[in-house]
Amino acid sequence: MDKRHEVLSSMDKARQAAIIVLLSILAVLVIFPVVYITLGSFKSRTELLVGGAKILPSVFHFENYVNAWQQANFAVYTGNSVLIACGVMVLSLLFSTMAGYVFSRTNFVGKNLIYGTFIMFMFINVGSISIRPLFELATRTHMNKSLISVILFSAGMGQATYIFLARGYVNTVPKELDEAAKIDGCSFFGTFWRIIVPILQPLIATIALLSFRQGWNEYILPLVFTMTNDKMRPLTVGVNMLKNSGDGAASWEIMFAGATIAVIPMIIVYILFSKYFMNGSTAGAVKG
Amino acid sequence: MIYTNVQGRTRHDRMGRINTIQAALMLGPAVLLLIICSIYPFFWMFRYILYDYNGFTAHFTGIQNIIRMIHDTSFLESIGHTFEYAAYKIMCIIPAALLIAVLLHSGIAGTSIFRLVYFLPTVISSSISGMIFSFIFATSNGILNGIISRQIPWLTSPDHVMMAVTVLAVWGGFGNYMLYFITGMNGISADVYEAAKIDGANTTQTFFRITLPMLSPVLKVVLMLAITSAFKDYEAIMVLSGGGPGNRSMVMFLYIYHLIFGSAYNVTQPQIGYGALLSCVSAIIVGCVTLLYLKISKKLDSVV
Repeated sequence: MDKRHEVLSSMDKARQAAIIVLLSILAVLVIFPVVYITLGSFKSRTELLVGGAKILPSVFHFENYVNAWQQANFAVYTGNSVLIACGVMVLSLLFSTMAGYVFSRTNFVGKNLIYGTFIMFMFINVGSISIRPLFELATRTHMNKSLISVILFSAGMGQATYIFLARGYVNTVPKELDEAAKIDGCSFFGTFWRIIVPILQPLIATIALLSFRQGWNEYILPLVFTMTNDKMRPLTVGVNMLKNSGDGAASWEIMFAGATIAVIPMIIVYILFSKYFMNGSTAGAVKG
Repeated sequence: MIYTNVQGRTRHDRMGRINTIQAALMLGPAVLLLIICSIYPFFWMFRYILYDYNGFTAHFTGIQNIIRMIHDTSFLESIGHTFEYAAYKIMCIIPAALLIAVLLHSGIAGTSIFRLVYFLPTVISSSISGMIFSFIFATSNGILNGIISRQIPWLTSPDHVMMAVTVLAVWGGFGNYMLYFITGMNGISADVYEAAKIDGANTTQTFFRITLPMLSPVLKVVLMLAITSAFKDYEAIMVLSGGGPGNRSMVMFLYIYHLIFGSAYNVTQPQIGYGALLSCVSAIIVGCVTLLYLKISKKLDSVV
């Protein structure tokens, strides 16, 4: 952090060191579950079932991943996870930036009512009951045969936050830019596409990452929609199904490998783009 | 843009109409999804409150569901558990996040790395983190019991399960709240700290007299977010303990999920009508708690 306060930067060295030690211990505790699952995924089944305090595997069993990938269907699960995450990301990006732009730049009767409804439903939470009518709707329209329904509904349930972010961001873009584009003959959409979208890059990155994470981590929604169809399951559901199935107790090494496959890609994306994740998470709550 | 001739004006009008249509088309998809995914399910819920509905046939049963709810000890207990869980979670997560934010804000080396690590659990799916913690807390071969070389039944004893659930909730969420506090603290002017230093305030005094009061607007928002999110949590608990042992860690929304979709353990028919009623009641309970909190925080405002 660049803004150091005079008062605190004059802290004596011993105190600083104590704080760093404390924070480091905490950091180890926080990261421990991830390290444990990753290293544990290389252990043999017997080693996992015996347990104990050892974190490192005695022998690295890379074949756990081969088995998970081929026998336990994880290749399919991973593909589904990627599909859902990318689908939710594309839909969220398209719909929320366009809606945010309209909310920021136009005036029409009922605008505030519609915007208010979006925001209101961010706070109304009735839990899993809201998935039931969507499930029945998808069954009736035969959309439950593919992941399109999961992608659409996931995008729909998460979009309010992104619209809120997009509207706020477009509000900070000077209106003079729109006027200039209009004089040059751009239509409403043309202005959005040629002028505003290029300016929205940071916002687009934030929404892309948040919605990708949302799609990748979605659990209850795909769980309900893929109850009877193993081929459509994403990683989150597939791994947990192993745990619930009868022989779950026996295949710990597959579950460890599966959980690792579900977690590591997200962590890599996070480490590469952590700035956007953090900006996006706080922008809605504190600055708004 | 001023058009002086008639031709110009019609061109302007046509352009305006095209722009209106474009704006409507651009807002359309989001509104359509809002209707399908939020508004429709909300009203759908009310439709079945007084029905017995198993997913195929629905019978009107009058106030049967309400009578059942009043006598449903499992549900009443789950309300208690929800409050218990929310209290544990908020009591741990808010002070921890605030303390860490203050420490990180003091300008020590490696701040950004610590922040990166502490925020990391929030990007992991709660279903997967629930699963990871179920391995960590496993009684016979879990790593936690391995390290402390004891055989504590974290997930299978009614005395311990809430602790395990809380640990998972705090681990998965404190990074978010820490970040809110850091953002809030960045908004406090350095001049204020300067002045405090000149007046000879020590670290503790600075925290209680400057940081905390100046942070109170942020703290209020964060507390509200913490309350609403704690009351609606159920995914992680569903994977970690499944609401067990018995119903010891069963929270309202998990109980409702089992009613609506059936559970993995007992294959019963979904009871959607009853689930709809309980969903409605639960949402009202959460709403009342939120309103109560808003009222209290406003009262505190006028006192201070």
